[in-house]
Amino acid sequence: MEEISLKAQEIFNLGSFGVTNSLFSTLAVSLALIMTAFIARSKIKLVPGTIQSGVEMSAEWLLGLMEGMLGSAKKAEQYFPLVATIFLFIMACNLSGILPGVGSFFIEQGGQDVPLFRSPAADLNFTLAFAVISVIMTNLIGMAAAGVLPHISKFINFSNPINFFIGILELVSEFAKIISLSFRLFGNVFAGEVLLTIIFFLVPYVIPLPFLFLEIFVGMVQSFVFAMLTLVSISLHTALHEEH
Amino acid sequence: MESGSIFEQLGIHWQLLLSQAVNFFILLIILRVFAYKPLLAVIKKRNEKIKEGLQKAEEAEARLKEVDIIAKKHLQKADQEAMEIIKATQKKAETLQQSLQKETEDRQKELMAQAELAYLRQQEQAKQLVFSQAMELVKKTIMKTVELKPEIIDEALIKKAVLQVKDEI
Repeated sequence: MEEISLKAQEIFNLGSFGVTNSLFSTLAVSLALIMTAFIARSKIKLVPGTIQSGVEMSAEWLLGLMEGMLGSAKKAEQYFPLVATIFLFIMACNLSGILPGVGSFFIEQGGQDVPLFRSPAADLNFTLAFAVISVIMTNLIGMAAAGVLPHISKFINFSNPINFFIGILELVSEFAKIISLSFRLFGNVFAGEVLLTIIFFLVPYVIPLPFLFLEIFVGMVQSFVFAMLTLVSISLHTALHEEH
Repeated sequence: MESGSIFEQLGIHWQLLLSQAVNFFILLIILRVFAYKPLLAVIKKRNEKIKEGLQKAEEAEARLKEVDIIAKKHLQKADQEAMEIIKATQKKAETLQQSLQKETEDRQKELMAQAELAYLRQQEQAKQLVFSQAMELVKKTIMKTVELKPEIIDEALIKKAVLQVKDEI
């Protein structure tokens, strides 16, 4: 059975920087998305075809959802790129891990066969980076919405002991968000990878199919959950300032 | 598993974290410029066109209603005018008929009078003729009688006799 590693494995070095199979997969997925964006851009028409209609429907659905949560179409359009990219990228990364053939490429590293690709979200560096980005971006959006000092006063407030304590709690909750977001995504995807590895080892044919479907579903749901939690966070930060 | 801090044990490395973050931001910028912007622009443009089309359709509908009302008004006016023209024509026709009738009656009366006059004239001429012929006949009768007996000729008496005959006629 293939060895299950909690950490992403290095596949080659760029100077002192070791490129892991997870980062390599991330780059591959990014490249695929960028190429798709370039191709899509040249094919966008006012009268849409089938694919464009599907993409537009998805975009309008997400915009509608964001408008409902943020309370305005302008805000929805403003934050759409961030939320959509988080959703798209995490989903593409999750689905890339279960593409046929992805697990078949190995590279020899230090006398061991190391998988060339690894589901990016099965590496804490990826999920943690996204969680940090999500939290930092939502706070920056909050600052942009109401100003730096009013936003910081939410975390550091000496007006009275209760507000000070609430501020501390808010600060802790921001760090908790990073941990919860990163470990939720990592846990789900890594558990799926482990489950699939074990099932493929035990029964290589037919039986893994439902688990593959389950992983597709989990991959999509987790990307949606991540994007929605970011959206909720944006909504809370901007709505709180509007109240003030 | 490597011994060390929890970050090392979980394989978290700041360089990898930074790489992932940079990768994400590059992707975000590229997708924003080359995918979301044109896509949202085309959706917006289409929505505007649809909105504009609907607005124009509403305007056209309103205009159509206005035109319909104007057309109905025109038709009503035309109907009224036609009715007035028909009434006026009928009235004119009646007047013309009456005048023609009167003219005909007058002409008829005139003709009747002329005919009566002609009849009376003819009657008078016939009477004159009968009278002269009767006078001639009486004269000839008397002359025949006188030839037989000349002493009884009396012109005045003959004339008196003739006048009496005329009166009787």
